[in-house]
Amino acid sequence: MLTLTSPVETPLHRVPAGAKLVALALATAGLFALRDPVWLALAGLGLAALHLRLGRGLARHGARMLRPLWPFVLVVAVWHGATGDPEGGAAVILRLLAAVALANLVTMTTRLTDMLGVVERATRPLARLGLDPRAIALAVALAVRFTPVLLDKAQALRQSWQARSPRRATWRIVVPLGVLALDDADRVADALRARGGL
Amino acid sequence: MPFARGAGFDEERVVERSLTHVALFAALIAVLGLIPRIDLVAGVPVTAQSLGVMLAGTVLGARRGGYAALLFVALVAMGLPLLAGGRGGLGLFVGPSGGFLVGFPAAAYVAGWIVERWTWAPLGLAALAGSILGGIVVLYAVGIPGMVAFGGLTWSAALAAMSVFLAGDMLKASIAAVVTHSLKRLRPASVMSRG
Amino acid sequence: MPSADGIHLSAATATLAGRVVIPPLSLSLTERRIGIVGRNGSGKSTLLRLIGGLVAPSSGTVRVDGIDPSGDRRGLIARLGILFQNPDHQIIFPLVEEELAFGLRQRGLGRDGALAAARARLAAEGRAHWAAMPATSLSQGQRHFLCLLSVLMMEPATLLLDEPFAGLDLPTTARLRRALDAAPQRLVTVTHDPAMLASYDRAIWLEEGRVAGDGPPAAVLDAYAAAMEERARDADTHLAG
Repeated sequence: MLTLTSPVETPLHRVPAGAKLVALALATAGLFALRDPVWLALAGLGLAALHLRLGRGLARHGARMLRPLWPFVLVVAVWHGATGDPEGGAAVILRLLAAVALANLVTMTTRLTDMLGVVERATRPLARLGLDPRAIALAVALAVRFTPVLLDKAQALRQSWQARSPRRATWRIVVPLGVLALDDADRVADALRARGGL
Repeated sequence: MPFARGAGFDEERVVERSLTHVALFAALIAVLGLIPRIDLVAGVPVTAQSLGVMLAGTVLGARRGGYAALLFVALVAMGLPLLAGGRGGLGLFVGPSGGFLVGFPAAAYVAGWIVERWTWAPLGLAALAGSILGGIVVLYAVGIPGMVAFGGLTWSAALAAMSVFLAGDMLKASIAAVVTHSLKRLRPASVMSRG
Repeated sequence: MPSADGIHLSAATATLAGRVVIPPLSLSLTERRIGIVGRNGSGKSTLLRLIGGLVAPSSGTVRVDGIDPSGDRRGLIARLGILFQNPDHQIIFPLVEEELAFGLRQRGLGRDGALAAARARLAAEGRAHWAAMPATSLSQGQRHFLCLLSVLMMEPATLLLDEPFAGLDLPTTARLRRALDAAPQRLVTVTHDPAMLASYDRAIWLEEGRVAGDGPPAAVLDAYAAAMEERARDADTHLAG
């Protein structure tokens, strides 16, 4: 399954994931501490420059990932415009866009395996409480493997509906889909046990 | 080596089953968001994502359902495009819907907890209550502050937005109840919330 | 001059996920029994979906009895039914009678009328006891039959079938084939089964979305089999070299 990581290598790809996440947390906290829209605008410009430095495709992708935010930007702009607080509105919008863009930058420059490594390291102390680290890796692998499989089955059920009805499929297809998910879970559990169990 | 040891956890043969059910329902939550919108009631199309979160709890129970939702959220955080619309990545968690995402595991857990504890109620009724309390009350309780803190909306705007979705989500909760009931009839041994 | 009746594709193309699955294809299907053969990925299923209106042509036209399948869904469903490969990905309703009644209800029949018709059909097939059973308690072959009945109940003039017997054992296949042979409607079947095609009027061999063979089934199948042999031999020498 395709991830949101940029296939084009950048210097940031080589930075350890844990370090990036810590830096992200600190930077985000910093963004939320800033009140002045001027500072936020500068931060935003710096961020935009960083994107462009890392690659045009990456910058374009980063911009595209901001697009779903437009309704909120609009509402905030209208509200703060109407209440005569354009500066406050600008600050909110700039902070929102900068925080989201920064977080997505980490996503685009960090491979799934590296993210998984961080999760495994972070949950290692839980092994003492009985949480098997292999279980996490296996659960991730299974979920990733079966999402496209279940998706295909859902599409097939929708087609079966559409072949007999001109109307949009209803919640009813969730029942057979749930049965398929439960049956797949049982089958894979059997396969796991046959291989010696967890 | 078991998946997780906990007080009263039945280790007999269910370790692998727990794991696979958690994984498959994480996939189901994703799929219900990724398919085109379905009709709840004739002509009312919705994204079925939160229906998946409710079902994870009502079908698998509190712990497994919570893990399934947690796994889903973790996969989205790690950069997989599994959220409705093919979205994913860390940006979602500092945006307006961040609170709702973070609230998914708690919502599933509470939904499952009610189905497991309220044993004298028929499954459908318990699933309805669980879906409302978990999938709506708890989810909104975490999601709306998120919208205010990260989305920059005022409390009144956030509450207004919530009220638009409330009716649809109540319908979703009733559908989660019906679906849970149907699944129990078709696969009684697999609906783990009611052993 | 083609009559409005029948299936007519005119320079129809299908593009899925950016890939051209079917380059401009023109076909007129008016015979009563038509088979479609081809390798996996040759576009057979996509062609079926084009005809069934589940996929709109990216260019060109598709007409079924004069109707645009993807545009006039209501009109198409009155004339054409589709039977897909896997019953478990096809059966939507828990109970057999609900599944059978679904199509009729979508055509406007009320709930009671549709259920009554479903039960009557089951009785006519000697399976009245199936009515209130969950579909999941039927055997695989029985589920295939249920899907077939669900489609036949809508009394379409044309039936599209996508490898209807894949994975079934011989006795079940024979039984289902008998049921299909008796069907009065036009059948367009994607299949690998030479025995099934033997009684057909026409076979079309699809290769990468293009017609590589078209005519009496025996001849088309011979050409198809020969071509597949060639490919297998080429692949072997490729591997050996």
